[in-house]
This record gives sequence, structure tokens and C-alpha cells, in this order.
Amino acid sequence: MIEQFLMGLSVVLQPEILIYAFAGVIIGQLIGVLPGIGAITAISLLLPVTFYLDATSSMIMLAGIYYGSQYGGSIASILLNLPGTPSSVVTCLDGYPVAQNGRAGLALFVAAFSSFVGGMIGVSILVLAAIPMTHIALRFGAPEYAMLVVLGLLAASLVGTGSQLRSFAMVLVGIALGIVGADATTGFYRYVAMPEFADGISLVSLAMGLFGVSEIINNAAKRDRTAPKIKVNMRDIIPTRAEARSLGGPILRGSSIGSFFGALPGTGAAIASFMAYATEKRFSRTPEKFGKGHLPGLAAPESANNAASQTGFIPTLTLGIPGDAVMALIIGALILNGIIPGPRLMVDQPMLFWGVIASFFVGNIILLLINIPLIRLWVLLLRIPYQKLYPVIIVMICVGVYSHRTSVTDVVLTLAFGILGYLMKSHRFEPAPVLLGFVLGPLLEDNFRRTMLIYRGDFMVFLERPISAVLFGCTATLILFSIYSTIKKHRHRETPHAVKQR
Amino acid sequence: MQIRDHSQSNIFHRAASGGVLLVIGLGMLVIGWNYPTGQLTQMGPGYVPRAIAVMICAIALVMIITDITGATIAKPSKIQWRSLIFVSASMLIFAFLVDVAGLVPSVFLAVIVSMLADREAKPLSILIYATLATSAGWLLFLVVLELPIPAFWRWS
Amino acid sequence: MLRTLLTAVPITLALALPTFAQDSFPDRSLRIVHGFGPGGNADTVSRIMAEQMTQGLGEPVVVESRPGAGGTVASGYVSGEDPDGYTMQLLVGGHAVAAALYNSLPFEPVDDYTFLSTLGQFPFFIAARSGEYASIDALIEAALAEPGSIVIGHSGVGSTQHLTGELLALETGADFIHVPYQGGAAASTALMGGEVDLIIDTGTVIRGQAEAGVYDILAVTSADRWPDAPDVPTVSETVADGFDVISWTALGAPAGLPENVEATLSAEIARVMAMDEVQTQIAALGARPQGSTGAELKALIERQIAVWTEVIDTAEIERR
Repeated sequence: MIEQFLMGLSVVLQPEILIYAFAGVIIGQLIGVLPGIGAITAISLLLPVTFYLDATSSMIMLAGIYYGSQYGGSIASILLNLPGTPSSVVTCLDGYPVAQNGRAGLALFVAAFSSFVGGMIGVSILVLAAIPMTHIALRFGAPEYAMLVVLGLLAASLVGTGSQLRSFAMVLVGIALGIVGADATTGFYRYVAMPEFADGISLVSLAMGLFGVSEIINNAAKRDRTAPKIKVNMRDIIPTRAEARSLGGPILRGSSIGSFFGALPGTGAAIASFMAYATEKRFSRTPEKFGKGHLPGLAAPESANNAASQTGFIPTLTLGIPGDAVMALIIGALILNGIIPGPRLMVDQPMLFWGVIASFFVGNIILLLINIPLIRLWVLLLRIPYQKLYPVIIVMICVGVYSHRTSVTDVVLTLAFGILGYLMKSHRFEPAPVLLGFVLGPLLEDNFRRTMLIYRGDFMVFLERPISAVLFGCTATLILFSIYSTIKKHRHRETPHAVKQR
Repeated sequence: MQIRDHSQSNIFHRAASGGVLLVIGLGMLVIGWNYPTGQLTQMGPGYVPRAIAVMICAIALVMIITDITGATIAKPSKIQWRSLIFVSASMLIFAFLVDVAGLVPSVFLAVIVSMLADREAKPLSILIYATLATSAGWLLFLVVLELPIPAFWRWS
Repeated sequence: MLRTLLTAVPITLALALPTFAQDSFPDRSLRIVHGFGPGGNADTVSRIMAEQMTQGLGEPVVVESRPGAGGTVASGYVSGEDPDGYTMQLLVGGHAVAAALYNSLPFEPVDDYTFLSTLGQFPFFIAARSGEYASIDALIEAALAEPGSIVIGHSGVGSTQHLTGELLALETGADFIHVPYQGGAAASTALMGGEVDLIIDTGTVIRGQAEAGVYDILAVTSADRWPDAPDVPTVSETVADGFDVISWTALGAPAGLPENVEATLSAEIARVMAMDEVQTQIAALGARPQGSTGAELKALIERQIAVWTEVIDTAEIERR
């Protein structure tokens, strides 16, 4: 595998090919920074260009756009509390507070570095373990997905910082929003008030509205918006030794979680980032620090979403099966070039296969080298008074959301979610759990019903299948552990109380 | 010590959060009432919506009760109406104009209206800024990204 | 504030004054609207056509994606646009399916359109895991022997693939379990993973696995053997005589197109379809490039609407 990787590297490092890698990641980064415009828009616009290029260059460029956008998405999240992509939503939770505390440069550095490590670990898994990962992914049928989502929902109910009750209510609201549309199992229309809702509410509208527009409404009319003190020296951008040490674990865990969810079709960077964040918070000794500017809470999701965007190529490259809509586009580009994606790709087109993988390696390095110097530029952006900034952001969100499905309804919906998010914030409801419920709810319902349909209503199938049983075990353990620690907390509280009463 | 404030207006304020949630839950329940539910092993499309709606109503009631009878909670923060109205107007103007009049007029008007949310903005600076922003937008979206949105009026 | 608005509006209107149309068509950019997401079959074919038609017509042809409700959102939009030739729609076989499937549509599937030409036609292939069934006959035998034992994965309730599976069940008397997935790729993954026994989908979804020997293609749904796969028997010659399911891509425009505009567009489409490059590209997507007259397209659609209506009625699929 290593020799083949080196062969791939020799393919990429030719100047003509390198240009496309460079172009791809730059465009991807730009797309990621712009809120609302996603990789899918960019790739579909560049598809005609691939008619004139050879397969390898096309793939390398389009792939660069895909994982490059994960680098850019965190920038707006950190600086403006505005996610550039749905997978950057979690980055807002701790990234923005760090910037608000005056250390925007540090946040951007940590994000870039975590993204780089996550991406590299993803690439390594791609190189070393693509086939085994594929086999594992194929063992995940409907029961396994259902159990995974249950585990995910439980673990991620910790994402919010406010009261547990309110967070859970928001998860339910998110699930409710995810229900809108045609039911996947029967095609029945649920809560479809107009035909535009038939395919469900767009994730981009929800994310941009709930996080972006609500933030703008919150800040637009504030009279004195003092820009946070900005530290732009190299010294202040790099974390202290203690801080750096605290990041090792989160980055590694985040990358692993991200790599796993990336390789699993149907789940991707967004879910990976949520899971990574929740895992960090769950296993942290200081969970109360999350949401207030805690660096591990920034590093984990950032490494997760980049790892996921790399391993997302595993089903595409080893099976020819797209894991999501963007991959379908990339496969389309391959088909147009006369290449048939499938298990034979690795054997029939080794130059393409390994060239693309090697381009990921090179691309991540390019992105890191670009992003570090750019930190100063981004931080200077914060000096622009908010009064001048937010109209531009509104327009970017409008155009971005509109261009997604050429839909005016989407724009109005984004506004509606913005107003909703704003009202929620004023009533101390957290928006992040809504997104989580929105993404995971339908996944759970679809897979549970599919399980019941295929296995004819037999509940035992969840325990009979090995992976599903393991996940069930983890879920049960998690529930028991939570009950245990809640009891422990109550005991601690009772003792000082009892002492007081004497 | 806990301060209990039983003034009339305060109860409504306190119950507001839970109240809105309850409305949402009831709404879901009512609209989805006729969806076929089936049973747990043969779920119809209406099963999950009803279950979720019921759970939302339950949590809403718990919230209302804890908020009303509990200690003084932080009041919901004041709604900034000016911000809300102008940002909404801005996005709605964009939405209604873009399919009809093209990107440039929509962006131009949207920027102007959104800037009006700021009390201190001066008319001339608004117009200059809007022109700059629209030109930059045209450059970015139509020239660089080549989005399939017409710049101006579609002649129909 | 009022002053600002009053100054802004006339400036905006002045900038946006519509140019007066000249006599020659076309004199500004045209668009091909389709009702599916980026990168899908519809999108790719649209872009292929747009690329070439831009050269031939001398004005830019852009592709607009308006996904939703199986393509009906786009159809609703296009049928309401002016029949001036500047707005076209890339129609797919799903158009006929939608006509049969939906209780109420915001448009008339046949009457609201001026049909221009088909672009490509493609059949569906029936695939199972390698070695499991010796032939399509063996499969149907197994299905008849034990009703409800064979599971078909399809790309979504109401999709052409789903209805083809139902039609197969109806014509052979077999009792399958039809399990919906989010798209053909997910169904194919399920087949690979062992969750379903059979999938019916386009060549693009199945081909990679078939060539690698992971899948056996048991049959093709067209009436005659498909030129690209001459060894694959048709459903019609084996288990269900007369079985003929073909999906297609085509171009149409709002009803009431002036004759000269229609003639220009049809001629341009025919010119593009004759190009070797375009034929290769469409073939790469698994279709047989095939132009037609507007009347032929209309007849094809009406025929298919009748077939699907019957399938939906008999299989008691819920209408939307």
C-alpha cells in the first residue's frame, strides 16, 4: 500500500495536476467561508469543466473542493457565530466564545491545526484501511443504523449548555421539523403545507436561519458593539504548552469518530462533529467549561469533520457508492469521463485511485500552509464595525440559500428560522440540539421502520445481530452510567444539606 | 431565600416559554391527527409524529409548572423590534425580487433595508455602501462563481 | 429613513429596466430547468445539452435546478412561465409517473407543455448478488414458492424503480417485499450488505458491481435486449411477456410556443443530438441517445401515464 501511495504521490506532484489540486482546495475553502453556499453548488457549477479535463485532474479538483470546504466553514463560525456549512455549527459553540474572549487568532489556529490533523488521520485510514472499513460499513444494515442513532441521540443530549429539559425539548422540536415532508417508508405527506415542503426542510435553511440570521437579528441594532480586543501577534495565536497538551486527546478522539462516520454511508461530517463534541463533553473532567470557550470543544469537532470528509471517499472509491449527494456528483464526473466506479476501480485505474488519495495528502498540507498566514487577515476582519458587516452577511445567506435549490421558499424559511432562533435565544432555548434532532430523528425513524419491515416486526433482531447488540450494550451502559452519576450527585447534595440542618 | 413574585403579568411571562412549546405540540397533534398510526412493529406514518407531539406537550406542561412555581427566573431578554423588522424586511424583499428582478436589484434593496436597522446610519453612506456591496456581490456571485441567477430583470 | 428608501427605489428600477425584445430569437440567455438535485442524471444531461446549445444558439444556456416532490415543483414552475422559448425543462420518465401518482398537481402533465424532443432512453436492470439466483426464472420460481421471502430494495416510494418492481410482481404473480431507500445508491449498498435480495435500477447504479462480479444482472426491463448488454435476457422473453419499461430524458417547454421558436429549438436539439461527442456522453450515462419529434414524445408520455396509472391502481399504492 505504501508503494502505491508513493506512486500516487508521483502522479500528484506533477505541475499540471498540482494546479488542479491547488485550485480545488482554494475554491473549497472559499465556498466553506461563504455561509449558505456549499460544496454541492460549487461542484455542480464546475462539472462542465470536467468535460474537458482528464479523469484524474477532475477528481482531484472536485475532491479538493469537498474537503477544502471543511476548512473554510469554521472561520465564519468562530468569528461571527455564523456556520459556513452545517458541519461547522458545532464549531460555533466553543469557537465563538474563544474569539469573544479576545483570542480569535488562537481559535482559528486551533481550528486549522485540528482540521489538518483530522484530515491527515482520515487520509491515513484511507490509505491503510480502506477495504476493511468498507467491509465494516457494509455490515451496517438498518438495525445497526437505528441503534447507532439511539446511542448518538443519548450521547448528544449533552450538546446544549442550558437545562437538560430545555435541551431535550429542542431535540424533539428538531425531530418534528425533520418529519416534515414525504415519509420515506410510505411516501405519505406529513405536515406538507405546500409542495416546496414535500422533500423536507432543507438543512441549509435551518442551519443558516437558526444560527446565522438569529445572530444577526440579535446584534444588528445594538448601539455599541465594541469589537473585542484583538491580539494579532504570533505569540498569541499559538496555544500555551498546557493548552496544547489538553488538545491531544480531543483531536485524536475527534479524528477517530470522524473517520468512522465518514466511511458510513448516509452519515457524514455534520453528524461526526456533533458526536465528537458530545463525546468530549461526556468524558471530560470539566464538562461545565464547554460552551464558554473551551479549546477541546473546538478541536474535537473540527478534527472530526475533516476526518469524515476524507473517509467519506471510502465508499466512493472502493465500491462506487456515493455516501451523500456531493459524492454522487463526483461519481457523475467519473462516469462522464468513461470511468466506471466500482470495486474494480482500484485495480483498473491504479493511477487515478492512488493519485486521488495522494492528492488528499498534498491538499491538506496546502490548506494548512494557506490557513495559518491567513489567520491575521481573518482577525483583521473583526475590526470592521458590525454595522457594515451584517448587511453583507444577510445578502450572502440569501444568495447562498437561494442558489441551493433555486427556491424563494427556502429564503423565506431561513428567515422564519432566524426569527425562531432569535425568540428561542431570548427564552433560553439552545439552537444546537434542534439541528441534532433534525438530522438524527428521521434517520432513526426510517431505519427502525425499515428494520421492522424487513425482519417482519421481530424486535430480537437488534440483539441477534452482533454489531447491533454491541451498540445496544453501549446504549444500556450509557443509560446506567447516567443514572448512577445522577444518584451520586444527589447523595453529595444531601450530605451538606443534612449537616446544615443540624 | 427565594423570592416569589405572583404578579399577574409575571405569570404569563414565566409561562411563555412552556406555553409556546405547548402550542407547537398541540398543533402537531391536531394537524397530524388523521395520519395512520399503525402499531409499534408496523409503524404507520403517523406514529412518530404523534409520539413526538405528545412528548412535546408533556415537557411543555412540566416547564410551565416549574417556571410558574419555581424561584424567580431570568426574564426573557427584551425583543429588539427594530432589528427584527428590518432584517426580516430585507430578506423578504430579496426573496420576492430575486426571481422577478434579478440579483442586482434584489441585493441592492436588501442591503439598504437591512442597514436601516441601525438607527445611526446616514442615508448617503447607506447608498454608497449598498452600491459597493452590490457590485462586490455581482462580482463574486455572477462573475467568479457563475451562479445561474440573472443579474437583472428577466424580460417576460 | 423615508428619504433613503425613496431615493433607492427609482435607482433600482432604473437599473433594472427590461430591454426590449428584438425580433430575432434568441437574443438573451435561455435556461434549462430540471426538478432534481445537482449531479444526478437530469442535471448532467441538462448540462451536456446546455454546453452545446450555447454554441449553436449564440446565447448562453444555463441550467437551473429546482428540486422537489419528484420533479413536480420544477414542472409547476416551468408550466407557469411564459412560452417565449427562453425557458425549457428537462423532463424525465418520472414526469409520467408523477402524472399517475399525484392526486393534484399544480400543472397539467400533457396539456401545459410543448414537447420538443427525447434525448435518451434507458431501461432498468434487475440485479442480485452473484451466484444467488441462476436466472430470472429461478428468482421468480423462488418468489412464487415462498411468498414474501424475497426482498426488493428500491430508490424511494413512488419512484419509477419502485413502480417497476410492483409491475414485475403484478405480471408474474410473485409476492415481493418492497423496501424503500433514499436513492439507488443506498439500495445497492443494502444489496451488497445482504439486507435485500434484489434491486431494480439504472445501469449507472449497477454497472460497477456487475463488472466486478459482485452482482449478477438477471434481466433488463426493455422490450428488446439492450444493445450495451446483449447477453442479458429481457423480462419480456423470460417471465412476463409484454413487459416493457423504459425511462427517458427529454426537453419540453411551456405550452403555446410560437411556431418559429419551436422550430428553432427543435432544429438546434436535433443538431446537438447528432454530434458524436454528445452521443458518447449520453451513452456514458447509460442511455441510448435518441431524438424524436414533439408529437412522438407526447405519445410516449401519454402511453406511460396509462401504464403507471394501472400499476398504481392495482398495487394500491397510496396517491399523494
